[in-house]
Amino acid sequence: MITALASRYTAEYPTIAPVLCGQSLSWLQQLRAEALSQFSAQGFPSPREEEWRYTNVSAIEKKLFSPATSIATSAIDKELLKSYQLKDAWSVVLIDGHFSAEFSVLEGLPEAVSVLSMSDALEKQPETLEKYINQAVNNDKHGFIAFNTAWFGDGLFIHIDAKQVLEKPVQILHLATRADVLTATRTVIVADQMAEASIIETFVGLDNAYLSAAVTEVFVGANADVTLYKLQCESEKAYHFGGTYVQQARDARFTHHNFAFGGLLARCDIHADLDHASECELNGLYLGVKRQHIDNHTRINHLKPHGISRELYKGVLDDRARGVFQGRVIVAEDAQKTDSQMNNRNLLLSNDAEADTKPQLEIYADDVKCGHGVTVGQLDEKSIFYLQSRCVDEETARNMLTFAFANEMVDKIKIKDLHDKVLEQVLVRFPQEGVNKEWL
Amino acid sequence: MSASTQEINNLINKEYKQGFVTELETNTFPPGLDESVIHKLSKIKNEPEFMLEYRLKAFRHWQTMKSPEWAFVKFPPIDYQAISYYSAPKRKEDGPQSLDEIDPQVLEAYKKLGIPLDEQERLAGIAVDAVFDSVSVATTFKGKLHDAGVIFCPISEALRDHPDLIKQYLGSVVPHTDNYFAALNAAVFTDGSFVYIPKGVRCPMELSTYFRINAANTGQFERTLIIADEGSHVSYLEGCTAPMRDENQLHAAVVELIVMKDAVIKYSTVQNWYPGDKNGLGGIYNFVTKRADCRGDNSKVSWTQVETGSAITWKYPSCILTGDNSIGEFYSVALTNNYQQADTGTKMIHIGKNTRSTIVAKGISAGKAQNTYRGLVKVLKSAENARNYTQCDSLLVGDKCGAHTFPYIEVKQPSAQVEHEATTSKISEDQLFFCQQRGLSAEDAVSMIVNGFCKEVFKELPMEFAVEAQALLGLSLEGSVG
Repeated sequence: MITALASRYTAEYPTIAPVLCGQSLSWLQQLRAEALSQFSAQGFPSPREEEWRYTNVSAIEKKLFSPATSIATSAIDKELLKSYQLKDAWSVVLIDGHFSAEFSVLEGLPEAVSVLSMSDALEKQPETLEKYINQAVNNDKHGFIAFNTAWFGDGLFIHIDAKQVLEKPVQILHLATRADVLTATRTVIVADQMAEASIIETFVGLDNAYLSAAVTEVFVGANADVTLYKLQCESEKAYHFGGTYVQQARDARFTHHNFAFGGLLARCDIHADLDHASECELNGLYLGVKRQHIDNHTRINHLKPHGISRELYKGVLDDRARGVFQGRVIVAEDAQKTDSQMNNRNLLLSNDAEADTKPQLEIYADDVKCGHGVTVGQLDEKSIFYLQSRCVDEETARNMLTFAFANEMVDKIKIKDLHDKVLEQVLVRFPQEGVNKEWL
Repeated sequence: MSASTQEINNLINKEYKQGFVTELETNTFPPGLDESVIHKLSKIKNEPEFMLEYRLKAFRHWQTMKSPEWAFVKFPPIDYQAISYYSAPKRKEDGPQSLDEIDPQVLEAYKKLGIPLDEQERLAGIAVDAVFDSVSVATTFKGKLHDAGVIFCPISEALRDHPDLIKQYLGSVVPHTDNYFAALNAAVFTDGSFVYIPKGVRCPMELSTYFRINAANTGQFERTLIIADEGSHVSYLEGCTAPMRDENQLHAAVVELIVMKDAVIKYSTVQNWYPGDKNGLGGIYNFVTKRADCRGDNSKVSWTQVETGSAITWKYPSCILTGDNSIGEFYSVALTNNYQQADTGTKMIHIGKNTRSTIVAKGISAGKAQNTYRGLVKVLKSAENARNYTQCDSLLVGDKCGAHTFPYIEVKQPSAQVEHEATTSKISEDQLFFCQQRGLSAEDAVSMIVNGFCKEVFKELPMEFAVEAQALLGLSLEGSVG
């Protein structure tokens, strides 16, 4: 169904198309054409679609976000950038959706690792990218993916050769500087067999309304190990869509830590396809304040036997915030001996906050161990009483318990510098009286 | 495949004993549905004018609707013009006044099903309304119930004798616009049970309705309405069976429960419609809308269902917890085998303060069956201190079946506490081994484990129905009931 509003984006497309990357590649042009026709037919996803039941993105259609054609270096707040850039890491900066060599720090990167901007990579290694682009999103064809495929102007390509173990993490820092800007980026991460890497995606922006539509495809080779962190601290007026689509080969391990803190409306998809004995761990923390709407959508697809998946998502919702969690575990007919556990815990702090959660199990094999659990509630009165009986006043007790609830997810971060940055973000979002202890 | 799995299969593949057909002279409408059919239906049932209008309104609305497709079930489109909407055993003019006047064939059929309609033969303490195809053929213990002030009669009789109650309550929980099948039911429902328990009365015996589909090419559209006035208490059970046929038959029922202040309704279902044969041929499509409205404070509704039959089961007995401190409960065992499909669960809508709900759903899937739990727990802003606990467990038997869990949880009230847990697994080899090592045969061990798996639900079935439930259960689970 075509909506008049979504077609504003479609109408603007001909003026944007000529400056997008990969003009000379016919396969990419074809992909974009298909995606465009799909997007013009469907528009952005509507709440009528089951997977978008609780999230209405029609506000995006009412505005017209346009991509930036160049980087306005002068406008860049270096302090802000620095405050998010990790110290002991290689970092790649994308400003308004475009790779910035000036701010990126890539010295000393081993030769076996290539980190290229998407437009560079499309010029230098088109054959390699043809193998990967759109391969992990294969089965997911909602409007945002089509939109990203047609509109992406840049992004990143990270390739880690077989057996290469990265000693430092790679940080991808997305910064949106302009009002009403559209940043559509495509990131492809390939870890060949037995490679190991930690990658951090950070999304930040100045205090504007803008739209980030980022799609990341991850290919984890046989017995490789990839840890992906996502720290989403978009401005509180921004719209964010971030899709992470993962293909895991045999025995591959993939761990994702998703910190969804920012954005007026933020939606995150994490979909993983597991092969024989692959392991997948998805962790998430979403903090909603004011009128934020934060939606996290995960799908773990066990296609082959002996896969293991673990999932824990926690949400703290205050003011008029709304948190949505949809988690789906599919166990295919062949996938015997699958072991899957999913949990979602929500803490409602205010009368106007709302939590909607929809964990799903879809199981077609019999010899499996699958379970999920969901809770929605408030702080345990007994725990508060316990603290009060130890001379902690009620407010501090509440703060401490709320913090502890969230901190479980923060503590899972293995990179010290990132841990501190995430912790800082948690603390600014909730009353921190009495919780910011030195020993944390 | 291990030997133990074989045992499980044997246990589950019990023959369908209720699959016989009773040869009867019937009065059946030709297939087809239009307004004239509804006029005819209303006339044959001698209904008051307002009922005909209600039916026509529902029918016109139904024509504007489309068959819903969101459920996790697959079936070819139903041709609503190929169904006959009324079929009743031929009988004397004014309907049977006593058991002697009922067609002996019908009595025999019920006897065969283990539901003797003769009051002397009955288990004491259960009143039965027997619905055969489109009409109620007998209602037992009417006199005794009447003395207690309880009205228990076929709904078509209630339409004539208690039109005010019907007018006030029919469609007030499930309006005719509610969904596709509810609209169809409102237009063409033929019979069902009507129960009214007056203020402060504890119904002296268990009430039960037994639904039997007999005629071919018919649909059964029954309507049940139970009203529990202030401070009353009633326990109600329905059972159902149908002959084995190669065609699918549609059963689209609507059940409305209205629970006033301090009242309690316990509603138990043992559903054993013909499930189709091993290759998925035939069987009943069981598309039912069941909903309870806890209107008064401190009211309580408890749904217990044992779903073993039907080619497709698609129903969600729900509770609207409007009154403060009201309680909703849902206990379910759904067994699917061969090509059966079940998409069942519940909805708990918390509106009043301190409302509580408990959901315990057990699914057993075998053969090539698909078994889905789908449930909604919704806590509105007004529902302070609402509490919900949900547990869904699935047991898989065989590697070709599916078990799915789709809960929806929507909470708008911070003081609410909502918990959901689900597990899916197969019968563990360890448990089997443990039992066998203690001297139990593999069959006994499986039976015991499946028993234990369903125990939480079975213990909710009323004691009085133990015999009946056991007779109806496709699974022979010795000693599990009560």
